[in-house]
Amino acid sequence: MTSGFRSTLQTAAAVTRMEWRLEWRQGHQLAAVALFAVASVYVAFQSADRQTATGAWTAMLWLVYLFSGFTAIGRLFDRERTANRRYLQWTVDPLGLMLGKLGHAILTTTALTALVLGTFILFLGWPEGLESAGHPWWLMGGAWLGGLSMTTTLVFVTAVASQVQAGGGALGAVLGLPLLLPQLILATRLTRGALDGTPVAMLGEMPLFLAALSTGTSVIACILFPYIWRA
Amino acid sequence: MNFRPMAHLFANALEGFFFGSGKAHVVTGVALIILAGLAMSLWRMDRRLRRLESEQHDPKA
Amino acid sequence: MSSWNSLWKWGSVALLAYVIVRGFSTPLQPGLVESSPSRLAPGKHALTLQAVGQPFAEPDAESADFSLILRSGKELVRTDITAITPHSVEADVIIPEAVPSPAMDAFLFTPEAGTLFLGNAFFVEDAAVGPLPADLRAEAPTEVAPDLGFSFPYQPTIVESIRNLLWHVPMWFAMFFVMGIGFVASLAQLRTGLVKWDLRAEAAVRTGLVFGILGLATGSLWARFTWGAWWVSDPQLNGALVTVLLYSGYRVLRAALGEDERVGRIAAVYNVFAFVMLVILLMVLPRYTESLHPGKDGNPGFNSYDLDNSLRAVFYPAVIGWGALCYWMYTLRLRMNRVEHHLLTR
Repeated sequence: MTSGFRSTLQTAAAVTRMEWRLEWRQGHQLAAVALFAVASVYVAFQSADRQTATGAWTAMLWLVYLFSGFTAIGRLFDRERTANRRYLQWTVDPLGLMLGKLGHAILTTTALTALVLGTFILFLGWPEGLESAGHPWWLMGGAWLGGLSMTTTLVFVTAVASQVQAGGGALGAVLGLPLLLPQLILATRLTRGALDGTPVAMLGEMPLFLAALSTGTSVIACILFPYIWRA
Repeated sequence: MNFRPMAHLFANALEGFFFGSGKAHVVTGVALIILAGLAMSLWRMDRRLRRLESEQHDPKA
Repeated sequence: MSSWNSLWKWGSVALLAYVIVRGFSTPLQPGLVESSPSRLAPGKHALTLQAVGQPFAEPDAESADFSLILRSGKELVRTDITAITPHSVEADVIIPEAVPSPAMDAFLFTPEAGTLFLGNAFFVEDAAVGPLPADLRAEAPTEVAPDLGFSFPYQPTIVESIRNLLWHVPMWFAMFFVMGIGFVASLAQLRTGLVKWDLRAEAAVRTGLVFGILGLATGSLWARFTWGAWWVSDPQLNGALVTVLLYSGYRVLRAALGEDERVGRIAAVYNVFAFVMLVILLMVLPRYTESLHPGKDGNPGFNSYDLDNSLRAVFYPAVIGWGALCYWMYTLRLRMNRVEHHLLTR
């Protein structure tokens, strides 16, 4: 049992490493996500012209983040759809594969948070009337945690949607968007609170909910993924 | 049950609209008609399905 | 066997007919809505209290039978009733320079309908805190507990819309019920891989979705009446919307998979996931966040009303009736799926 779990973890680590290495090697995909994110931020900057209320600032931040997340995670299972799928199916433990993909999602989220939040503050500055964020660490942590609960949900949805032969990408959006609503509501509230400097005691439970949601969806994804994988 | 239309105490605009004007009866009637229509269509579907099922289970068809 | 088969189906329809008739013809108990003005300074004032509720006996219009008494802190303030109109009770009141508490409650004692209560009816402005002068004090009249007959309880702000309880709540219960059937069927599908379970899951989700949409629609109507807007941002409402969208996604997924032979398994995986999300979104999250929706720290939805026997006598039949009707619709869909499957695989 222990050794089985250990080999699962080893598989997961190997998959994460492989995914990340492939991302770097095929740089154009990584660049595509970054380009998408930066271009969206720039469009937001052009239309807002450095005068945004906190609400609009938060809304734009999460819209950019949401669709960048979709582009980044939406093709996570593309490789497994083609020729090497059959080979992987025989050799790779599905739980290990899922954990590996989730690990990759954590890395992607971290990179994406840094990129989106960084360029957003660089271009748009802070919302009108604010010198800086009320709680900068809560802003960063909240964005990361919100992004994480978003990407973990998307990993599972993408795994399901990638089973469809044609039009999997659009299906991912249809299935994924409603599922992301609760996470986005929590995340936007947390972001607004962190910007306004709402007392920490009032923000405290939101990160907990976000963490619980991402843990929950990850656990369900890990339990259910083997069934999709062997279908 | 005591059920007198619009005596003068506690009869405000809302319940004058709903009970006093007799609209409550209209609402009840419409809801009953919808329910009856739904029940009839479900029953018809039920009968048709029974016929289809018996056809399928009979090797004659 | 066959007679039982049609008995429960028509039984559910009969129950719902009873619920409709009883639900719309049962009178509401009387209650006080609001006081105008809602803020008073010391001095003599004319006070008007809005009232609703169907009369239960012919009132003889003698204002001597009624008394309106205000409560400030623990002391009672006297008023003189000047008129009883079809919509309200009017009274003169003298507010002293000092009151025990600025928030005043109103009690209307009536011989036919018992005591009607309005908490925090109005607030006294610019008065000191102190005991009442003796000449303004009132004695509490002896309370009568009249038999109001079969009537629905009066709830502030909900008022007549309490009848929606017989539609909105049972519809969500019915939805949970069939979605639960779908969840179990999908689990069985994943265990056994048999098509028959997939047919069940598909029928259950399809039926549940109808009731989910009806639940949203009746809820929206209720929100318009009680909260003043067709939709408000609230954990329970967001959860309900997400749940309905999630199950619409199930249908989209099936349509996208088309004739793929893995459709049963993949749809089952998604359905299990959707049901877990339903439980989290509608039963777990709303209880730990602030919500306008009632029942978040108890049984969903009808906590505050379930003590009332007359409402119970209609609510439980409504739950059974809607549940059975929903189950009937589910079995019809299931049989349709079976017939179709039989035709396609022959």
